[in-house]
Amino acid sequence: MPAGLDNLKHIVVLMMENRSFDHMLGGLSLVVENGAKKYPKINGLTGNESNPDTAGNAVKVQPNSQFQSQLDPDPDHHFPGVDLQIFGGTPPGPGRVANMQGFVKDYFTQTNDVNRSHNIMYYFTPDKLPVLTTLATEFAVFNGWFSSIPGPTICNRAFAHYGTSFGQVGMDIFYTLDPILSSYERMIQAGHTAKIYYYDQQSSTMEIVNILKNQPQIFATYSQFIADCQNNLLPDYSFIEPCYNDHPGADGGEILASDQHPDHNVQEGERFIASVYNAIRTNPALWGNTVLLIVYDEHGGIYDHVVPPACTPDGYSATPADTGTGETFNFDRLGVRVPAVLVSPYIPKGTVVPGTEDPANGRIFEHASIPSTVTNFFLNGNANRTAREKNASTFVDLLSGPMRPDSDIPYFNLGGN
Amino acid sequence: MATPANAIKVPKPQPGAYNPNRPAGLLLRSQTLHIREALLKHLEEIAAVLAIDPKTLKTEGDVSAYVHRATAILHTHAAKPKTR
Repeated sequence: MPAGLDNLKHIVVLMMENRSFDHMLGGLSLVVENGAKKYPKINGLTGNESNPDTAGNAVKVQPNSQFQSQLDPDPDHHFPGVDLQIFGGTPPGPGRVANMQGFVKDYFTQTNDVNRSHNIMYYFTPDKLPVLTTLATEFAVFNGWFSSIPGPTICNRAFAHYGTSFGQVGMDIFYTLDPILSSYERMIQAGHTAKIYYYDQQSSTMEIVNILKNQPQIFATYSQFIADCQNNLLPDYSFIEPCYNDHPGADGGEILASDQHPDHNVQEGERFIASVYNAIRTNPALWGNTVLLIVYDEHGGIYDHVVPPACTPDGYSATPADTGTGETFNFDRLGVRVPAVLVSPYIPKGTVVPGTEDPANGRIFEHASIPSTVTNFFLNGNANRTAREKNASTFVDLLSGPMRPDSDIPYFNLGGN
Repeated sequence: MATPANAIKVPKPQPGAYNPNRPAGLLLRSQTLHIREALLKHLEEIAAVLAIDPKTLKTEGDVSAYVHRATAILHTHAAKPKTR
């Protein structure tokens, strides 16, 4: 077994909100050094991708993303809207082909302004996101990590906990169905430790009612995560939630949302990602036996050029009334691609995990990959699971190299401007 | 650990980014419904415990079961196990 797997004791997942791969990391493909692409394996943007607007003009991707105030109103990311984004407006029916041509048209339905609808094609240049792009290029970035459902937050996050959303494609309150337990319950029942760390009580959790209602013991705040890292008390499995709203701190100071959900400040999210990373990175007792996954729950309605692939169904169906498209959804295809980065000193620098662009070697990941990895690694796969989760790719095999020296590992300075 | 000289500096958001008066989006409004749903469980549990007349508790076992349920509501974090 590789040393990284031999030493692995902790899996930490940080799930951010509502940004697509191309929006956050697509610009890495356009970085040129010494006349050649610096990151040729990353399946980002060429700069020529476009979508038609409602006036019939082709709108190209543009490196104009700002940290805030550009994606207000919030881009549509509910099932019918994402269907339009993926299929370009071709109504459901046999033989229709996904083309990723409906993002601008769909954002027009929010903005009612042709020029503003073009904002959905904007992406960040890598220099604006020093944390995410550094981690993506220093460790491993996934070309093919997709949201689990072409829909919104709650059902996508359910896949990260249960490997299914129990037939849900929306934001409604719903209940889990036996015999599928959350990965936290599976872990605790088997004598392992697991926690969900939400930011604070003002931000709380976005996880579904069942967990909050029935397992209060698995929750803690982000300050406890920092303390647990410092005191070598990190659970076997940790899931971290960023701050979801702007609110006053206990000392009267300003606490900004750090989830990066539009229209929250993206820089604050960068600082939060760096804070999680630094908490692990700066404790030598943790750094060598912890893997950190940074992933986004869904694309938030923002453009990505990769067509979501098919997947193993989870055995549930959403009715035409639930989907809002007039068509039943059998959970047999994934949602839009999202940024995903895996961090460990045992990951060779600059690892790019191929996706759909490489039919021979590509690997497809989605949020069911999270409980699948946790359950396979800690519990040898022993749990009641959907076929979807059992077939989901796992990621700890990427810890394939020797441990990299400290001098080769980045550190983030959060000190000031 | 001292900050390494080659540390990557991460800028802070510009002053004025903080806006608690921003209208709550659909996600946050949905969150309130989910939290409220979770709260109902506690109401049901409180109602169930209050429905028990303490005068009907005869044995130490009866009392311990009652006190356990009531204390669990009053001190929701008391039963919280150590992280490890």
